Amino acid sequence: MSEATADGSPASVPELQQRLRSRGYLAGRGLATTAFIGLRLGQPILLEGEVGVGKTELAKSLAAVHGRELIRLQCYEGIDTHQALYEWDYARQILHVRALSERELTDSDAVSGLYSKDFLLERPLLRALRSGGDAVLLIDEIDRADDEFEAFLLEFLSEFQITIPEIGRVAATERPIVVLTSNRTRELHDALKRRCLYHWIGYPTVDEELEIVRLRAPGVANKLVEQVVSAVHQLRDMDLVKPPGVAETLDWVDALGVLGGEKLNGEAAADTLGSVIKDRDDLELVHAELDRLVADG
Amino acid sequence: MADPGSTTVPDTPVGVVDRFVGFGHALREHGLPVGSDDVLNFCAAIAELSPGDPHDVYWGGRTTLVHRRDHLPVYDKVFRAYFLHVPTPPDKPTPAEHPAPQGSTGTLHIPDSEPGDEPGGDQPLVLGLQASSVEIEREKRFAACSEEELARLRRIMARIRLEPPRRRTRRQTHSRAGARIDIRRMARDAMRLSDVAPELRRIDRKERARPLVLILDVSGSMADHSRNLLQFAYSMRRAAQKVEVFCFGTRLTRITPALDRRNPDDAMSLAAARVLDWDGGTRIGASLDHFVRTWGRRGLSRGATVVICSDGLDRGGPRQLTESMEKLSRLSHRIIWMNPLIGNDVDAPPNTLGMLAAAPYIDELASGHDLASLERFAARLPTAGG
Repeated sequence: MSEATADGSPASVPELQQRLRSRGYLAGRGLATTAFIGLRLGQPILLEGEVGVGKTELAKSLAAVHGRELIRLQCYEGIDTHQALYEWDYARQILHVRALSERELTDSDAVSGLYSKDFLLERPLLRALRSGGDAVLLIDEIDRADDEFEAFLLEFLSEFQITIPEIGRVAATERPIVVLTSNRTRELHDALKRRCLYHWIGYPTVDEELEIVRLRAPGVANKLVEQVVSAVHQLRDMDLVKPPGVAETLDWVDALGVLGGEKLNGEAAADTLGSVIKDRDDLELVHAELDRLVADG
Repeated sequence: MADPGSTTVPDTPVGVVDRFVGFGHALREHGLPVGSDDVLNFCAAIAELSPGDPHDVYWGGRTTLVHRRDHLPVYDKVFRAYFLHVPTPPDKPTPAEHPAPQGSTGTLHIPDSEPGDEPGGDQPLVLGLQASSVEIEREKRFAACSEEELARLRRIMARIRLEPPRRRTRRQTHSRAGARIDIRRMARDAMRLSDVAPELRRIDRKERARPLVLILDVSGSMADHSRNLLQFAYSMRRAAQKVEVFCFGTRLTRITPALDRRNPDDAMSLAAARVLDWDGGTRIGASLDHFVRTWGRRGLSRGATVVICSDGLDRGGPRQLTESMEKLSRLSHRIIWMNPLIGNDVDAPPNTLGMLAAAPYIDELASGHDLASLERFAARLPTAGG
């Protein structure tokens, strides 16, 4: 991350594409345009798409390109402001109060010291505000959080400031780059979507995926890569519970690379199928079709 | 994706802005919810890109003006017509163009499973009788219920205390008997009342309505019960938000949107109209399989209490029923099977092949053959499965 350009953001969409590429991330024109506008206008980017198409990866690559710190907030059901924003370290505060009262130090300084930054536990959102322009804030899998949290996030993303009653207002001097991802397990609220630039990441075409695999796994034999990508594209056309994403393609190539070999054959495919297919029903379906999948490649 | 081709956008500044604003209006006319803020955003984005490059205009507009994947085809079409002057086919009313439903509302396209099995007019269906020992009584069809009957049922149903099942969430709230200590509050108390030992404060996890999925058998053998069950489903839907209702005989139909009508009579007749196979044969296995594949996988039944109301008289093979029940049990929190044939003897062994096949995956049996049992069921629901 250290040798990344600190001389400002890219001047055009192709330049951003080029820089992302040098970090091993292949962004299509549409995704790069969204990211570029987001950077320029300081707007959050909302990425939706199938599992494993590189939503989270974009945030990591953007951080690397800009030499910024990646701050990640993983959403889950029941997440609330104490886990996302900040919390007072209550146990330490109580100990401190004990210590103060034993020494009978109860002047106003001692009391206000209780609410100093020493006792404040920063959580990702507050940290992103403080880091401002030095951070990329990734709010991952926002669809897992409940709607109360979504409403809170809406407020946060429109103002980029929060008020801590005991300390005061904390505002970002410069807006961090914000990337939100969603797997669409539920529909997000329209108000939140309107705050964001929206981009749907679909599965890549065969050519794009070949390029991605070659970029990420340079040492693997060409023939093998072609066969794997062709097989994965056929798998996506089958009626599977969990169609493989790009991440699975890369995993599969890695797994086959470990086994060694220049070509994909039925036996190697069967042994490594677990890295692409993650559902028992799917496995049964695919095993029956395996020879055809490999032969066509 | 539109192919922007070689057309360029006029480059006089005022003309450009007008043209872009006009594009926003065009999208709105085609039914996309494009607000003024979106158009402003769009213009700001274009200013950062090059307004003369159709690729930039396309992607810049797509990321600022579209907020849902479903709207992309409409956007592509309007873009082509507006910037590339590819005429729109005039005979298509565009707002209805949204592709297959993605969200929680929409219609279900049901494949013609058995062409010969279409209920034609008012003729009794012989096929249904193979599985059912109960004679088909056409008058019992819900669609044919008299206003009077409906009103009476509704009055009775309205008295049933309907509460959806609940589940505990990860969110916490104050509670007197909570399992965990609320250190946050105690610290605040301690600081306020320095000397006094603070009272022990507790928190516990909040409770929330658990989604409820009702799958009703409306085939011939259930004709005596189907209208009661539908009325029950309607009351349930009115009482709680997260309720989904499906009907099946030979095929599965989602009737949740129909039940949202304010007027119960409208809701019932709309629901009745949606179901094409009233009083026909039963294919429980195929219908449940359809549910699992189309709805269950998407997460509709995740964490939900699924109530299947059927007598278990299945014309399809038991194997498919077993398989789909197994999948369903993995995709949902709890399965309650309501079988009107078992009457008050809930602990009786399963009496049909279908029930035998499904039994390993049923968490709870209920009867629902009369109002009293429906009331008992409704009373137990809030705590069913915690």
